[in-house]
Formats: sequence, C-alpha cells, structure tokens
Amino acid sequence: MESFRFCFLMLTIAILASPALSDLVLSKVDRRIYLTSHIVRISSTVKVENAGPEKESLVLLAFPEQQAKNMAYLMATPHEGKGKVKNPVVALPVEAANPKDMPAALTFYSISLPMGLAEGDSFTFDVLAVFTHALRPIPEQITQADIQLVLYQDSAHYLSPYAVKVQSLSVKLPDSRIESYTKLENTKIHGSEIKYGPYENLPSFSYSPIAVHFESNLPFSVAQELVREIEISHWGNVQVTEHYKLIHGGAQSKGEFSRLDFLARPNVRGASAFRYLVANLPPRAHSVYYRDEIGNISTSHLRGDSKKTELLIEPRYPMFGGWRTAFTIGYGLPLQDFLYESDRKRFLNITFSSPMVELVIDALIVKVVLPEGSSDISVAAPFPVEQWQETKISHLDIDGRPVVVLKKTNVVPEHNQFFQVYYHFSQLSMLREPLMLISGFFFFFVACIVYMHADISISKSSASYLAKQQWEEVQAVIQQVQNIISRCLTTHDNLEASLRDLSRTGNIQACKAARKAADGLLKELSKELKPLLTFLQSSPSAAQVLPKVEELVAKERELQEKVMVKHATVVDGYEKKLGACDIENRVALQQQKLTALRQEVDDLLEFIDEI
Amino acid sequence: MAPPAKAITSPVPDAWYPTLAVLMLAIGLVLTASFFIYEATSSKRNRSLAKELTTGGVASVFLGFGSLFLLLSAGVYV
Repeated sequence: MESFRFCFLMLTIAILASPALSDLVLSKVDRRIYLTSHIVRISSTVKVENAGPEKESLVLLAFPEQQAKNMAYLMATPHEGKGKVKNPVVALPVEAANPKDMPAALTFYSISLPMGLAEGDSFTFDVLAVFTHALRPIPEQITQADIQLVLYQDSAHYLSPYAVKVQSLSVKLPDSRIESYTKLENTKIHGSEIKYGPYENLPSFSYSPIAVHFESNLPFSVAQELVREIEISHWGNVQVTEHYKLIHGGAQSKGEFSRLDFLARPNVRGASAFRYLVANLPPRAHSVYYRDEIGNISTSHLRGDSKKTELLIEPRYPMFGGWRTAFTIGYGLPLQDFLYESDRKRFLNITFSSPMVELVIDALIVKVVLPEGSSDISVAAPFPVEQWQETKISHLDIDGRPVVVLKKTNVVPEHNQFFQVYYHFSQLSMLREPLMLISGFFFFFVACIVYMHADISISKSSASYLAKQQWEEVQAVIQQVQNIISRCLTTHDNLEASLRDLSRTGNIQACKAARKAADGLLKELSKELKPLLTFLQSSPSAAQVLPKVEELVAKERELQEKVMVKHATVVDGYEKKLGACDIENRVALQQQKLTALRQEVDDLLEFIDEI
Repeated sequence: MAPPAKAITSPVPDAWYPTLAVLMLAIGLVLTASFFIYEATSSKRNRSLAKELTTGGVASVFLGFGSLFLLLSAGVYV
C-alpha cells in the first residue's frame, strides 16, 4: 500500500536526517483535525522553545508531499489564550522554505517569529492549514441508496524537524458512524471525536500513519471553474456576475437514478446528494438573478438583513457524485460600500472569492472591469495571484474598458479576503457616455437638416422642377407678406390698447406718442410690402394666389385707415373734453365696421395659409 | 497608515434616475416635435439654419441625458 511505503520512506528519512537542525524544541503541540466538511482544516497550537545558546527567529513547518500538494491555505497567528479579548490578530509571515540537508519528500514552510527567541524563551502560535481533495471516497462508486464513505490519512505524530516533548491529536468527524480507524496506544473515541495521545518525548521526523474511514454525506461542492466579473460603474453600481461550473466531488454515482425514490425518501435514497447551495452576499445587494444557459432558474430564495443577504439556490436537479451543473448568479452592489478614494487614487475594496458557503474552487478567475478612461492600475492582494490585463467592450464604449484579471487555483473559503484594485480616474471621463448619446441624437438632427436643405432632384432643367422652384419662391414671398400683415395687425392692437389706456388715465400725450410710433411702423411695413407685391405680380406661378393676396393687402389698408380715423376721433373727443358716452356713440358705427373688416382680414389670412 | 479613505458615490442619487429620465425625455421629445414641425411648415427659403441647429442641439442634450438616465434606472449601468 502506498501509505506503508510512505511510512518506510519516512522512517529512513528519520534515521538519515541530521538530528539537530537547530536547538529549537517544540514543548507542546495540540493538533485538531476537522473533517466536518469536505474541506479538511488542521489547526495546531505549537509552543516552541529555544534550548540552544543562539538566537532563533525562524520556525520550520514540515508537510509530507501528498499533503502539501493539496494544501490550499496556510496561516500562522500568535496564540492568544482563551477568554482574552480578541484583538485583530496580525498573521505571522509564512514563506515557502527550502532548507539544506532535508529530505526531498517533505515540503517546508518557515514562520518568522515577531521577535527572536533567546535561550530558554518560548513562544506559542497557532497554525491553520486547509486542504482540499484530501478525503478519498472509498468505495469510489456508490448507488443512489448507498451512503458515502471517505478515507482520511495522516500521521498520529506531529511531523516536524524538531523534537516534540508533549503532543496530542484530536480528529473531529461529522458523524459518529465510523467504519474503521487506526488504533494506536492511547487512542480514545468520544462520539464523533477520536483522540490520539498524549505522546511524550518523540524525536524529530516521527511519523505514525493513521487512517480514518467514516461516513460523510456533506455536500462535496467543487467549482471546477469560477469566473467572477466585477464591473464598476461610477453612476452608482458594482455589478458582480459569477459563472460557476460545479461538480459533486464525492463518490461517483453508479447505477440508475430514480427521481421517485429520491422524492419519496430523500434522506435514504440520495443521502450523498446535495440539493441546495447557500451564498452569503454582501448587505444591500440588489437585482439578484440566478440562471443558466436555458434561462431563469426559479428555485432560489433570497432574504436579507442589515448584515448580509442570504441567497439559497437549488440546482435544476439534485447533485449526485460526479454530476455536473453550470449556472450563473449575478447581483448589484451599491457603489459607496466598495469604492473609495484616497490620495487622489480610487480603489475598489471587495472580497476575492465566491460568496458560497464551503465551496472549493479549483480555478478561480476574478475579472475587475474598470470604467473606460481608468489608468495606472495596480492590485493589492493578500496572497499571491496570477495577474494580467485585458480590455472589454461593453455598453457605450469606444476603445474598451480596462480589465484586471486575477487567477488563483485551489481556493477555499479562507481566501475570501478583501483585495484592492487601485486606479486613476478623472471625474470628467464620466461624461463620455452621455456625450456619446448626445452626439448620436445630434447627428440624427443634423442629418434631418441636411435632408431638408439638400436639393436631390436629378434633372435640374425639367419644367416641373423649375415650376416647383418658382412655386417655392412664391411661397416664401407669401410667407413674408403674411408676416408683415400680422405685424400690421399687432400694431393696430397696440393702438387700441393705447385708446383703452387713454380712457383709464386720460393721458392724451402718451396716446399721441403711440399713434406716432404706429404711423412710422406702418409706413415702414408698407414699404417692405411693395417689392414683395411686385414680385408676386411678375411671377406667373403666383397667378392664382395673387387676387387673394391683393385683396388681403387692400382690406388691411382699409382697416388701417379706419383704425386711424377711430383713433383720431377718440383723441379729438378727449381733447374737447367730451363725455365718455358721447365718444362711445361717435365711434360705435366705426367700431362695427372695424370688427367686420378685421374678421375678413383674418379669414383671408387663414385662406392664404392653407395654400 | 494611509489617509482615511473616502467613499465614492454617484454624482446623481440613484433614486432620482427614473424621475430624471421621464422629465428629460419629455422635454427632449417636445423639442424634437417642435423641430420637425418647424422643418415641415417653414418654406425652404425662409428656414433659418441657426434656429434649426439650436433646437436640434438642445433637444439632443435633453434626449441624451434622458436616455442615459433611462438606461441607468433600468439597471444597465453604463
């Protein structure tokens, strides 16, 4: 068996390796392995002591190769005792190390302690290591009715390049149904927890393989690929779109699937399947959708409070081992929660990974689409990521929006940390989109103007074309005539108004001044009218309108005279200080004629307008 | 530490988008209508290019911003 061979290898390593790498000694190691999810988490509390004379500040952690290749996340923090107020812990720097004279089958990481350890000093820290795909389903294929059994292998002894004085290990399982486990000395079992140890005074590189074979019907949700697209709009929105390619990563399903059995007794006939996924979206998420290539998937539930928005989605079918599904979720977030400005640079501060609970992502691609016109883009991520830039053409773009692409493999929920994308953006660039729309509409109007102005007839010498030209000229002149006549009418109205003023205030001088101004204006207008009329008389195509126009002009002149006479009469009456009644009687007849004339002129104007 | 970061908000509050869209599109369409009425009724020789251009220009400003706010209120964040 592979594990036995590995064990032999380890033993030879233990013999060959130089016994004293440094004078550090681990005085106490507490390890807890959490197998309560398909993501394996090993949390260790390590107390390190310096037994030698030299100052030490680096502590090495060793992982066997098979574990190291599944390791997704490793973090070390200074240990704080129970009951203490939890300050924001600052992680200790962890680096991959490659020390000399060490067995090649081990992968090393070094932790830098906050201060060097002098002789006799000790320091306690916590290490959290997260592994994916570390549980092997055995049997590898199960039917719908079977429960899923998985195997986990590790060492009962803490594998370390240092000697360990006291150590213990506890393995927490999801359920008390355990198929088998390795029994060593000092092995106890409490319900769903197996305890190994304590073991005392073990040399460096001690290794004692254990295997636990247990039932785990937890959702083995693995996203083989997740593309997250985060699009910023400075008009007030951060749009997140996530494309999932999901697989059930547990034991393969074999045999046939019976929907009837599954619906009748879902906990027995389909214990290994998972039916839904939960995503914890940020608070104030809006416009949430859940769809796939076919269209909307209606089996989703959303509820939110001030802390988070919880989205529960059910795939189109229950997910059995090895089954795949692909879907997309999307949501909008308010801009002010995620975009900030500092030091004249804008930055997006948003979580890196998927909001899904307990999801392993084999390949995560995060695309941050910045608005058009952004420059000087830089990314600050809390862990190493592959990074490159693209452009994306979207709504109302000219040269595309800059896109920062970040790629990371083997992502676990612990990676769901905030990262920042810094960029320069001028507020004026926001006007690009409206300006584009405005210019679009403006070009449309200009096109209309050009069409209306352009002469697009082919034969410029044909009779009908010439007639049309002439007719247009006549029309233009008639419009001018109309214009002048209506100005004359307004002048008349002004005179009438001055008469009303006179009856109210009795100011004769003002009335006379109004009369003078009106006289001057009317004279000018009649001068303007003359050439237009001569043109109409000479033009052959105006023949049919001419009588009407001439009638209009004549009537208007008559009206003008009558208005003048009335005006003169009234002013005269006032000068002679006659009674209002007297004046009224005098102009009553004139007034009747005036009204009739005005009516006729208006009718004529309307008639000409219709031509 | 870096200076305190200031949250960035939209220049126009989101809640105004639908109102602004309706208002500006209404004004824009009225101006467009007056533009076309002028084009159709005035004779070729009496038409003033400046008046046409200003009516068209003002109408396109209103229509442009109106359609932008329409897009934004519909959820198409440009």
